[in-house]
Amino acid sequence: MENRSRVAVLISPSAVFLVVLFLIPLGIMALYSFRAGAFGPESQVFTLDHYREFSRNATFHRLLGRSAWLSFRVSLLAILLAYPVAYFLVFRTGESRLFLLTVIIVPAWVSYLLRVLSWKVILGGNGVLASFLEWIGFQPGGPILIYSPEAVIVTLVYVWIPFVALPIFAALERIDRSLLEAAADLGCGRFEAFLRVTLPLSLPGIVAGFLFVFIPTVGEYVTPALVGGPDGIMFGNLIFSQFLRGLNWPLGSLMSLAMLVLILVPLFLVGRFVRLSDLAGI
Amino acid sequence: MQRRDWFSFGSFFYWLLVLFLYLPILLLLVFSFNDSESLRFPLQGFTTRWYSEMLVTSGLIDAAKNSIVVGLLSSLVATALGTMAAIAIIRFNFIGRTAFLAVSALPLVIPSVVIGVALLILYRLVFNVELSLWTVGLAHVVINIPIVMLIVAARLAGFPDNLEEAAMDLGTSYWGAQLRVTLPISFPALVAAFLTAFTTSFDEYAMSVFVIGTDATLPVYIFSLLRFPRRLPIVVALGAIIMAASVLIIVFAERLRRVGSEQ
Amino acid sequence: MRAYRRVTLVWMSILMPLVLALVLVACGSGGGAGDEPETETETSVDEPAATAEEEAAEPETADTSAEEEAAMPEEPLLVLEWSGYTAPEVPEMFGPFTEKYTATLEEVVEYNLFADDAEAYTKMQTNVGADLVHPCHSWWGLYVEAGLVQPLDTSRLSNWSGLHPELAALGEFNGEQYFVPWDWGYETILVRTDLVENVPESWADVWDEEYAGHVVPWDSAESNFIMAGLSIGITDPVNATPEQDEQIKQRLLDLKPSILTYWVDYTEAYDLPQTGDAWVLTNVWPDAYGFLLSEGYEVAYVNPTEKRLGWVCGYGISSDSTNLDLAYEYLDAAIAPDSMAALANTYWYGAANTEALPMIDEFAVEFMELDQMDTLFERTYFPEPISEEKRQIMVSIWDEVKAAP
Repeated sequence: MENRSRVAVLISPSAVFLVVLFLIPLGIMALYSFRAGAFGPESQVFTLDHYREFSRNATFHRLLGRSAWLSFRVSLLAILLAYPVAYFLVFRTGESRLFLLTVIIVPAWVSYLLRVLSWKVILGGNGVLASFLEWIGFQPGGPILIYSPEAVIVTLVYVWIPFVALPIFAALERIDRSLLEAAADLGCGRFEAFLRVTLPLSLPGIVAGFLFVFIPTVGEYVTPALVGGPDGIMFGNLIFSQFLRGLNWPLGSLMSLAMLVLILVPLFLVGRFVRLSDLAGI
Repeated sequence: MQRRDWFSFGSFFYWLLVLFLYLPILLLLVFSFNDSESLRFPLQGFTTRWYSEMLVTSGLIDAAKNSIVVGLLSSLVATALGTMAAIAIIRFNFIGRTAFLAVSALPLVIPSVVIGVALLILYRLVFNVELSLWTVGLAHVVINIPIVMLIVAARLAGFPDNLEEAAMDLGTSYWGAQLRVTLPISFPALVAAFLTAFTTSFDEYAMSVFVIGTDATLPVYIFSLLRFPRRLPIVVALGAIIMAASVLIIVFAERLRRVGSEQ
Repeated sequence: MRAYRRVTLVWMSILMPLVLALVLVACGSGGGAGDEPETETETSVDEPAATAEEEAAEPETADTSAEEEAAMPEEPLLVLEWSGYTAPEVPEMFGPFTEKYTATLEEVVEYNLFADDAEAYTKMQTNVGADLVHPCHSWWGLYVEAGLVQPLDTSRLSNWSGLHPELAALGEFNGEQYFVPWDWGYETILVRTDLVENVPESWADVWDEEYAGHVVPWDSAESNFIMAGLSIGITDPVNATPEQDEQIKQRLLDLKPSILTYWVDYTEAYDLPQTGDAWVLTNVWPDAYGFLLSEGYEVAYVNPTEKRLGWVCGYGISSDSTNLDLAYEYLDAAIAPDSMAALANTYWYGAANTEALPMIDEFAVEFMELDQMDTLFERTYFPEPISEEKRQIMVSIWDEVKAAP
């Protein structure tokens, strides 16, 4: 019975926060999707018009799909790049690993906007990349890479790598080294030991890192707006636009709910096969 | 025994990544001394006027200070709450555990814009409180709790609770055991979680813009300044300073750590 | 020994940031005593730091009467404002006001900043408590309809008569004056004349094949809707019929293949023409034109046959403001000729007060055609205020155009 009171103490502050400052406002938000307008007399009218409007709009649906696919690629790339680095830090650098990890984190402290802007400088028409290529004799016909979905991917991967490295680092760190020794003793080569011991044990960290990037990236809008060009628009730009430009909060709320459903469904499916607790590495 | 492979492939990859991460930042550093109002090559000559202009742009300095304060406090709170929640999730199997885990992961799923507007409605139309840095700070705590939880939980899962139990057998209370055993062991994860939370808060724009009062945070200030591109180099100068400060803090922390573990 | 050191380290790392935060707060308490949310019960649970912080931040006493000639107002003025227009930053744009309150400016006026009109409107609707608000005129109608602003007593503004009458008339609704025009400008086509063979002469020309892949529109639903409407001959796009809405949408979809990218923030309107990738930018404001001219680029700021777009932004007093004396003082200072000249010279936008003309730099007068105010409304299309419904239609159309593959 002590356990119950301990649990209560441990989770109640977070629970209170989450309920009052998160669930309740979100509930209010969800209710907004049924209103006719954001402010004034219209906001008192109940309607399903926005649901009808959205369900008929195939362009928006396709955009949602494209955004999810782009986020998937960003997350995958970020993992592929961050994993070796985290591995190197945990297994090869001894005591200075926390320091070296922080070295990777520090760039994230500079304003996100400035870092994206500096990528525009690099990728743009007269930027570093273009002038370098000109110098070695290769004349690009127009702007390279920028104003395209690829630019969005590169920039987002750049932004997210520090954040992906962290959970992978944490997961790798807690692997019991004696397991690896045991594997070596049993005749495993280094690569095999990696595949059969390290990788599976670090999987929770990988999944955590993946989700950590994937989920917010689906709703990303700043980078697509700055470097995405006409084809790099993502679903988050739509939501932003409806809330902050069109004042169409009902439609914006509805779109957010749609995005939420898109993300939760695969999570739920994954949850059928893998226990949610396994994902968190428990 | 750890091998120090400073010249191995892993090391090469690491430094390549560091280069990749820092290159745009170094560019910023270069542009902060560039005698031109636009961020483009070719460079136009050396000047320090952006720095001197920045120092008298009171709005910018205030916004930076606000961001640091909000970041530190909200990250501390989020780390404390998230760690406690992580301990509960990992060490106990209680009714509603899965539900709690799912709910606490939700803030990561909702776009910040939506959380921002929802909170604005809550603050102004429901509770009728004035908007201020406090309202921003609370909002940041909400989005940082899941981040902290995930990071700390991943770490906690890795070691069993024998040590805690042993401490309790030796007479410590449960809470004492947490303070003296669990927290120190998961310290690196706590640091990692705190840093992540701070970074998220320091850089947060989409949500903060709605729940902010008269005192701006740095990202909000920078975004609003973008309408005046002639002021942009000042912002770049600030970015360079933040970088330099971060590097100094890191070096200092590393010195501290070396001293601390020389026992 | 080791364990002891670790525990110390843990406490140190908690205390150090805390101390840092407290120090910063104590140093930066110039913003007045911290606002405390009254009703949140969680604050007692979460923040041991909270009470400590309040102790560290000393509340400001408004006791400067010794040196102050002007009487200290009881409550500061709260202005909902674009960034870059705050009195501490640009004192010369509010000359008389900043001169009167030099020593105590930060206590007399406070600002809540926004980056976009929709944001400002949202904040007003959710009662942020502002006294003055500075929206742009296509939104003015919404403010009046929603009862967010009160009618103005123009006799309290000594500089009122200097304002351009047609601009001022835009702020008149139902016979009452609700908004004071302040800054204005054009939105039109900016062209790199050295990169194109034929300079566009009308909005319709933008669709020309010659510029394919080098057109950069502004990412604004309103402006693109209007521009597309003008380009197919609709003279008053903001009052378009549903059939015309569809035509406009199709027209924008037709432009899509020509688009290089959108310019979102103003830095891009300055940068893109310089890179040589962007030849034709649309809905550009005058300051970009002035900037590029002064940097020596060959650019043209077109006068399309269908007319340039125009915008004007101005101040309104919120309906529940009680700080009226101070509000009128601030407004009068803002529209004073000297202040307005400072605006034109610093930001290269037009000034609503025609008496400011002699004090504006020649360069600015020339490229903004400020000495031709008489013909302003003949050459420029200032759209009527846009209803909420119409705005939503515009945004949805633009979003669909952007989302289309």
